[in-house]
Amino acid sequence: MIKIEKRNDVSPSIYFLTPILAIFLTLFGGGIIFYVLGFNPLEALKFFFITPISDLYGFSELLVKATPLCLIAIGLSFCFKSNNWNIGAEGQLIFGGIVGGGVALLFYGHDGFYVLPIIILSGAIGGMIFAMIPAVLKTYLNTNEILVSLMLVYVAKLLLDYLVVGPWSNPEGFNFPETRQFSESARMPVLFDGLRIHAGIFITLITVFLSWLILYKTYLGFQIKVSGLSLKTAKYAGYKGKTMIIIVFMISGACAGLAGVGEITGPIGQLHRNISPDYGFTAIIVAFLGRLNPVGIIFASLIVALTYLGAETAQIFLQVPKYTGQVFQGMILFFLLGSDYLLFFKIKFLGLKKNEL
Amino acid sequence: MNTKLRVSEISKIYPGCVANDEISLEFGSGKIYALLGENGAGKSTLVKILSGVVRPDKGEVFLNDKSIKLNSPLDAKKNNIGMVFQHFNLFETLSVFENLSIDSDKKDEDLRLSVNNILKKYNFKIDLDIPVLNLSAGQKQKVEIIRCLIRNPKVLIMDEPTSVLTEQETEDLFVSLKQFSDEGILIIYITHKLKEVLSLCDEVAVMRKGKVVSVSKTKEEKIETLANKMVGENLNSIKKKINNFKYSEEILKISNLNFRSDDPYETNLINLNFSLKKGECLGIAGISGNGQSELFQILSGEIITDYTSIKFRDKEISKLNPRERREYLMAFSPEDRISQAAVPELKIYENVALNNFKSSNFFEKGLVNEKKIKEHSKKILSNFSVNTDNVEMKSQFLSGGNLQKLIIGRELITSPELLVCFNPTWGLDVGAINYIHETLININEQGKSSILISTDNDELLKLSDRICVIYKGKLSKIMYVNEVTPEKLGILMGGGSID
Repeated sequence: MIKIEKRNDVSPSIYFLTPILAIFLTLFGGGIIFYVLGFNPLEALKFFFITPISDLYGFSELLVKATPLCLIAIGLSFCFKSNNWNIGAEGQLIFGGIVGGGVALLFYGHDGFYVLPIIILSGAIGGMIFAMIPAVLKTYLNTNEILVSLMLVYVAKLLLDYLVVGPWSNPEGFNFPETRQFSESARMPVLFDGLRIHAGIFITLITVFLSWLILYKTYLGFQIKVSGLSLKTAKYAGYKGKTMIIIVFMISGACAGLAGVGEITGPIGQLHRNISPDYGFTAIIVAFLGRLNPVGIIFASLIVALTYLGAETAQIFLQVPKYTGQVFQGMILFFLLGSDYLLFFKIKFLGLKKNEL
Repeated sequence: MNTKLRVSEISKIYPGCVANDEISLEFGSGKIYALLGENGAGKSTLVKILSGVVRPDKGEVFLNDKSIKLNSPLDAKKNNIGMVFQHFNLFETLSVFENLSIDSDKKDEDLRLSVNNILKKYNFKIDLDIPVLNLSAGQKQKVEIIRCLIRNPKVLIMDEPTSVLTEQETEDLFVSLKQFSDEGILIIYITHKLKEVLSLCDEVAVMRKGKVVSVSKTKEEKIETLANKMVGENLNSIKKKINNFKYSEEILKISNLNFRSDDPYETNLINLNFSLKKGECLGIAGISGNGQSELFQILSGEIITDYTSIKFRDKEISKLNPRERREYLMAFSPEDRISQAAVPELKIYENVALNNFKSSNFFEKGLVNEKKIKEHSKKILSNFSVNTDNVEMKSQFLSGGNLQKLIIGRELITSPELLVCFNPTWGLDVGAINYIHETLININEQGKSSILISTDNDELLKLSDRICVIYKGKLSKIMYVNEVTPEKLGILMGGGSID
């Protein structure tokens, strides 16, 4: 007989240490996979996790990837903390990108300091509006936000597809599915010559700080926390549940929209079919790896960003597909959930009693 | 087929409460036995022991003079003990037949044959191939009964079977139960409804506070005598206070309170009207599940109903949510202190911040004023003698009594004009109960009013100025406490009428 029991108290230090344990288990699991594939595990892991950031350029690339991941994950933490399961950040990112990109194309050829802020703002608003769809449907029609937000990802993707192939495609672009390159005034300033790291990182850092402020220092944050722990209590305390659902979705959508607009005005500089390598989905892993804590999410985004880079180097040096990156992301989540289970529950082995045989 | 079931000196002790204290009972086939008692009397524990869900600390169960071990529900099935629980264990989206075949080891064709025989024999009308969610509560219960009948049970235990049934379904059920009994199945019928005991059962065992207080033939009993045994007569030593509220002003007036729910486990409330005076405590008695929880939530504003009028100090508040009602100086202490009144994972001061007034300034311009909340919390901890002064401690480490003191303290420290509380001393030890009782008496003496919804009659008689009983969502007439006897309460709680 095996019995599973809930643990009464979990110490906070272990709560924040298990993600690190999960990362080590992932490295171990990854080593085994590489070994089975016929590589020297240590060397392969070195290619995966150390080579990519061994020079300044690599480090800048790490930050370029971590910027959107961190931003989206921060937004998602608002939803997840209050028991709202927004799975559609990818769609909100793309829609933010579409709106921001549309505005950027509108300002094509314009100069002026005001252009970029307007584009960024419109991207955030785009993501926000797109996230409000599942929120409003959930509050007024009782739909399941997981399904709606997830399905809207494909709506956004197809819309982007249509726009870059059809109405918004570059008139001088030989029918490639992409828009014009945005003008210089519509691009995120690059921080250092020769590196791709851009001003979007400041947006992310400011958002992290504001989120920390909201989550831990405001009435709204307190209400989010209480609703996440017990909806019954939130109701008893008289919090306006529906308004709160819409607010957390708006925050989360705005963050994803910002990430989208940061990508297209930053490293990409135009709209095309693949403006995001699933940042919106991967950010879910980042949010949980960072324990929905703003500081934790910063570290988690760096680690998960590394799996993106590692996959690219591994593709070059080891000739393995770049999807190994996703394998690593999957393993991180798997081991995190696994260690969490053991963190919150204990498994008791009871001897078989005679009469139970 | 002659079946004899005997339980001998069964005891089961939970932390802080003796659920079953040396229970010995004997049952024989051909009769329907009632197990009668209030909530918490220990009926459910005994039944869970008989069905293998709970293991007793002491004592034995004998089936036909053979000692049997019931370590799991499977053991109960093997010994032909069938059980129909109050809440159904059916898969809503599967068909009736699929539900039946899940835990049957017969082949599908054989199973269908035997199910059809049962349907024919007892005149059950159920389509086997429609999903369970399309069935009425009564039909679902029949599916559970069929599930037991397939195994040719010797003993059939029914736990509060009529709580979700309509009158007609109840009558049908009684006809079937009598039929089973005539065929030699031993039936044990758990209930707190006195009328059902008298109309259906042959013998009745009354339980109170974990003990069997009487076993008798129902022919020799009347509603009054059973009520007395169920509630207990040792209620004379209660401390009553002098009330002078009769002349004071009205503070709360409820008219046309109606509540309809689609959820079969919720109770509809039917046309409740009552009012409350300054300094008065109105007690609402009743067996749990008769609408108390719904009434509490409507008073607190967690449920907003149409057409109901709630006037508090001459202001219409029926559309306000709990936080807005608190601004009018109402306070609420719900039944479920662990998952509703407080959040165990939150620190003490965070739980205090749940009761937030504009004037308390816990949140200034949307920002948390931690210093203020902590000061306020310290005051509650010392004023209401909670046994800690560490406001940073997580509430889960408080004992039930201390948590309840914290909650009552949080609600009362703002000097509300009205406190609505629901089972405030449920599950507490004697010391904490006394403390809460004194506190509740104190607020009345200070001219504040209270509504006490409780399933504990001792408590109601001790604290209330007027008492009424809620039964199936309806309120009885409101009586002054000196006109009320435990007998009368018992009759009203069981659905009977007085005068």
